[in-house]
Amino acid sequence: MAHISLRQVTKKYGRFVAVPDLSLEVAEGEFLILVGPSGCGKSTLLRMLAGLESVTHGEIAIGGEVVNDQMPRQRDIAMVFQSYALYPHMTVAQNMGFSLKLDRCSKAEIEERVAAAAEILALTPLLDRKPAQLSGGQRQRVAMGRAIVRDPKVFLFDEPLSNLDAKLRVQMRAEIKSLHYRLKTTIVYVTHDQVEAMTMADRIVVMNAGNIEQVGTPLELYDRPMNRFVAEFLGSPSMNMLPGEITGAAGALSLRLADGSSIALPGRDLGLAPGDRVTMGVRPEHMTIGDTGGMGLDIVVDVTEPTGSDTLLIGRAADCAITCELDGRPDVRMGETARVTIDPAHLHFFDEDSGRRIGAAG
Amino acid sequence: MTTTTTEHMPRATGRRSGRKGGFARSRNADRLTRAIVIVVTVLALVYILLPVYWMVKSSFQTNADIRALPPHWYPHEFTIQAYLDMTYVIPIWRYILNSIYVAAAAAILSTLIGCSAAYVLARFRFPGMTLCLVAILATQLIPPITRAFPLYSAIQSAGLLNSYTGIIIAYAGFSLPFCVMLLRGYFMNNCPPDLEEAALVDGCSYFSAFWRIILPISLPGLAAVTIFTFLNAWNDFLWASLLLNQGDMKTVQVGIGDFSGEGGNVRYISMFMAACVTATIPALIMFLFVQRWLVSGLTAGSVK
Ligand SMILES: Nc1ncnc2c1ncn2[C@@H]1O[C@H](COP(=O)(O)OP(=O)(O)OP(=O)(O)O)[C@@H](O)[C@H]1O
Ligand SMILES: [Mg+2]
Repeated sequence: MAHISLRQVTKKYGRFVAVPDLSLEVAEGEFLILVGPSGCGKSTLLRMLAGLESVTHGEIAIGGEVVNDQMPRQRDIAMVFQSYALYPHMTVAQNMGFSLKLDRCSKAEIEERVAAAAEILALTPLLDRKPAQLSGGQRQRVAMGRAIVRDPKVFLFDEPLSNLDAKLRVQMRAEIKSLHYRLKTTIVYVTHDQVEAMTMADRIVVMNAGNIEQVGTPLELYDRPMNRFVAEFLGSPSMNMLPGEITGAAGALSLRLADGSSIALPGRDLGLAPGDRVTMGVRPEHMTIGDTGGMGLDIVVDVTEPTGSDTLLIGRAADCAITCELDGRPDVRMGETARVTIDPAHLHFFDEDSGRRIGAAG
Repeated sequence: MTTTTTEHMPRATGRRSGRKGGFARSRNADRLTRAIVIVVTVLALVYILLPVYWMVKSSFQTNADIRALPPHWYPHEFTIQAYLDMTYVIPIWRYILNSIYVAAAAAILSTLIGCSAAYVLARFRFPGMTLCLVAILATQLIPPITRAFPLYSAIQSAGLLNSYTGIIIAYAGFSLPFCVMLLRGYFMNNCPPDLEEAALVDGCSYFSAFWRIILPISLPGLAAVTIFTFLNAWNDFLWASLLLNQGDMKTVQVGIGDFSGEGGNVRYISMFMAACVTATIPALIMFLFVQRWLVSGLTAGSVK
């Protein structure tokens, strides 16, 4: 269990800057998730924490101790690799017990801890197999097992669930969460999957091109994304974006969309002034079908996707792709124009140039 | 097999003979082709093995029997006397031990140095690396005989002429370029760097990651270079006759060569043949012993 600080960390590969200047604090026992698009530097950051990649500038401290020049084994961390990296000449049990063996644990203790980890990961029947005799998902679980048999200061996970089927993924998500609850070890976890991020994290770090876009609890990020990138990245289906210009007078503003139509905005102070060019963001679940007064929007429906519990309505309004998540099974046909009402309590406004969130809206 | 398929077979044999199962599959399949292949194979085998057979046969004959004209194709008087007596005229066991010692030491030395060098060249980037690689390749372009004099004087000035150490160093040196290049390719293609990184995180040092993870999964490559160096040294005549040609220290090749040079192969022909047969056995055993490591696919399943 340890606290991690990254202070102005920079990573360059030759001339290419993978991480420009990154500062981040991870509290003791925290479950921190790094999300971001492919190639944004998540693995690089994790590998710098592990000591597998040198730090070009800046400082990394684990448990108050600067570890820049320490070998991975001196840092006392466990890591699950994106590529599993199982030792092909060892059985599953030997793979999992390898770090304990290097730690000079007794045979009995190794066996006991491996058995316990195997139990959690449902690997018990496979302990005598070699990695070549396992399926992708089983290999991934062995890679997890290799980390959780240890009792390190920090766990580093690089997309550990990406190869599992949906059911196993949900199960493993719960396992990792309860593991964290029991062990209270600091975890830094990388994923592509924003559902994973939302459901597991204490805090989420959204990264883009080596920079941190926003750090916060999952709900903070979901409810108050600080910029367009975060707003669009979190949430599935992602937030609808309607660019336009603010018109009218204070207290009775409206948003004029690209096709000339206007949406009346709620009367409270949104931090907007007439003439501002903004993008309004609305989450799909904050739209309801039918004209109930309020903020209405006409949508040309391209596709409806009933998921059983609710229905996705995909279409366009004022040249913008719009997705609505509607309760139940509304009677809307493809090709029709449907009127939806936007919930005025959940609006997000972003500056059109900088993409930054405007005012206290939402 | 049902009747339908059996009836069906002959028509399809022409095309089928190329499919899996090959000749064994097609009952009627071109008997002629089959016969030709067998005859050619047998002829080739006879061509290759006849001298070997002649050696083995002669070693079980008396001198008179060997010299009979026309030659006897098999021993008319079968005797193992040559094997019992050969050590009186040629200290073959001693020569074999010398050869085993020299070849094994050279094999171990060049495998050890080769795998360390190959690992560094496969994994680390450092200034001058390309130069190293080019230099290693360039050594292979020089005809070996041109090295004879420089090497002889180098070993002589080091005071290692007619010592085991001198020739072991020479043999290891000859094989090293090949060992390094082969193992470097092996490490680069078969050992993903993630494996060492996982080992580092699990608590290994760089050296123990190499020792405990990389070497075990590289056994096929290591076996290949070990056999290569061993057989090169075992079969060498040229360098051994230059660098190690005194009395009891001779290797088997030089020992047998010198013995026949002194006329031993004429006077003691059956014993000479017995010595030759004996000399082929250690290399055979060595090969059988190491070849089980020459299996591929040891790294399967490590990364996705
Ligand atoms: N050894 C390297 N040399 C040069 N560039 C590299 C190297 N390793 C990574 N990069 C670059 O650094 C950037 C960040 O890579 P990284 O592996 O951290 O991405 P990632 O966020 O983990 O992506 P993914 O989600 O696809 O795994 C990428 O643009 C990549 O091309
Ligand atoms: Mg990655």
